[in-house]
Amino acid sequence: MSLLTIKNLRVTFGNFPAVDGVDLTLQAGELLGIVGESGSGKSVTMLALMGLIDAPGKVTADTIEFQGRDLLNLSPRDRRALIGRDVAMVFQDALTSLNPSYTVGAQIAEVLKAHLGLRGSAASKRVIELLDLVEIPDAANRASAYPHQLSGGMNQRVMIAMAIACGPKLLIADEPTTALDVTIQAQIMALLLKLQREQGMGLIMITHDLAIVAEMAQRVAVMYAGQIVETGPAPDLFDAPRHPYTNALLAAIPEHNKGAKRLSALPGIVPGAMDRPAGCLLSPRCPRVQPKCVAERPPLESGVRCFYPVEETGHV
Amino acid sequence: MSRDVSPHASPAAPLPPEGASPAWGGPALGLLLEATDLARHYSVSRGLFQPKATVKALNGVSFTLSTKKTLAVVGESGCGKSTLARQLTLIEPPTRGSLKIRGTDAATADKATLKTLRRDVQMVFQNPFASLNPRKTVATTLAEPLLINTALSAAERQERVEALATKVGLRPEHLRRYPHMFSGGQRQRIAIARAMILNPGIVVADEPVSALDVSIQAQILNLFMDLQDEFGTGYVFISHNLSVVEHVADEVMVMYLGAAVEIGETTRLFASPLHPYTRALMSATPALRKADRRERIVIHGELPSPLNPPSGCAFHKRCPLAMPRCAEEVPLLRDVDSRRVACHAV
Repeated sequence: MSLLTIKNLRVTFGNFPAVDGVDLTLQAGELLGIVGESGSGKSVTMLALMGLIDAPGKVTADTIEFQGRDLLNLSPRDRRALIGRDVAMVFQDALTSLNPSYTVGAQIAEVLKAHLGLRGSAASKRVIELLDLVEIPDAANRASAYPHQLSGGMNQRVMIAMAIACGPKLLIADEPTTALDVTIQAQIMALLLKLQREQGMGLIMITHDLAIVAEMAQRVAVMYAGQIVETGPAPDLFDAPRHPYTNALLAAIPEHNKGAKRLSALPGIVPGAMDRPAGCLLSPRCPRVQPKCVAERPPLESGVRCFYPVEETGHV
Repeated sequence: MSRDVSPHASPAAPLPPEGASPAWGGPALGLLLEATDLARHYSVSRGLFQPKATVKALNGVSFTLSTKKTLAVVGESGCGKSTLARQLTLIEPPTRGSLKIRGTDAATADKATLKTLRRDVQMVFQNPFASLNPRKTVATTLAEPLLINTALSAAERQERVEALATKVGLRPEHLRRYPHMFSGGQRQRIAIARAMILNPGIVVADEPVSALDVSIQAQILNLFMDLQDEFGTGYVFISHNLSVVEHVADEVMVMYLGAAVEIGETTRLFASPLHPYTRALMSATPALRKADRRERIVIHGELPSPLNPPSGCAFHKRCPLAMPRCAEEVPLLRDVDSRRVACHAV
């Protein structure tokens, strides 16, 4: 049984489909990377899974199952018991996600109290253990620090400590290192990978940095305008992308243009609420567009959503 | 380097004609910027009864920039990159050292000369959502520098604005719109046009693509290169993204805690980084292809507080090659393998 099964997830804000029919499965202990540009719906997909979409946003799906439990029809009380304990999330900007008025120790203890009923010295002992686990030096003293007294990297470690406090089965990391410097990013990524291996967690990593996913993930889903356009195992997908969008994204990276004067850029931007094309969502920007693409939306077949997938291997 | 003949000599000098050759600067072609031991210290209050402390945000940086060249400044937050940008754009006077723009020393220049110098150094900021005035149309934003700095008539200003807008990939109808009606990539195009409208010799770009998606990032980087080809502008390109830096820069300066640790020509520096910090930065950057991945050198800890920098080499507490000497003696930049490196261990 897979850890997480999502079928045909849709999130709409008014008439605008932010997420447009997403299917995802995740096995226990698997590392899935979701990549895409801003506005592609990667974060909204995960917020919907966590039940964090407020009105006027509407979430519908055929199935959202976590460990065989249906999350769609869960009572709010059961959902609260599950979220934060078995499914946890690390957000992008740690400083704005933490409460500035409480010490980081108190904020981690709150999770322990709510889900495990730990209080007093048992809770503070566990807080220090968790801070040690995320490799914060001098954990006993740092527990009584406020978020503004810690650096961005340290705050992100606190967020991770909070997320893994109850030993979640699934950890969702939404751009966990985007606000951090590269050397700190490398430290945080190494920490997440280590925790994922040690605790056997499923990890969903949302990022716009293709290179991070290429280095870490076992499986990748590329999202564009609310849909998954290509999905597959990690090294293969990057070595031989089949969807023109994946191909264009990879080609736009400076790393793939060594020696070239100009980068090969994909013209245009992700379609917004007003200009969603009737056919394939990429058709206005696609270099390989055909009449059929403008008329019809392609389905996701054998891991790629395109009528005319890229055949040749190697895109450079 | 007689800058008197440059079109920037007087505020009312006519702007170079459209499509002028890259060498429009004439005799001024060549050295644009010359920074010698540039430093900026700030004094910060530590409380009512504490003596003031000094933060050495920029602590002695020397480099040069020539026409049509790009110097990339690389480093983590807190390394002094943005303080350097404030120095180059003449927003603040340096605490120590000198800055020469086209041969004119900014420290001794009078007010009128400073004004012409400022015209010659323009800036593109990181966040195009914050750097454009939401109450002004694109046309007004782009015409404002011309209105302040030139004696062009309204019709001439409009002509120049339209010509440049087309060059940066905006359509004529965009000029009447407001910034909120544009995407991040288009806003950055507007910000670039605003920087280029006075035809400056130098553009300082502070993380100009880090807020943009990869596909948009490629469009903007191409635009930067096209404009450089056409106008011969020298860029100081501040970035933490090494793959972007490798693509755009002719020369790279790696900074750590207010000082340069390695300066060298891009291909050489990327082929064989010498300073342990440069190596750590490169190895920490994720790469798509296995062949491009370097052996991970994990450096522990974080950037030390500039209020209380370590003794000796600023990097020695995180450095995998640290020796006893590093804690005592500040390493100076010296020539190694046709570049300059500040390290005792190489």
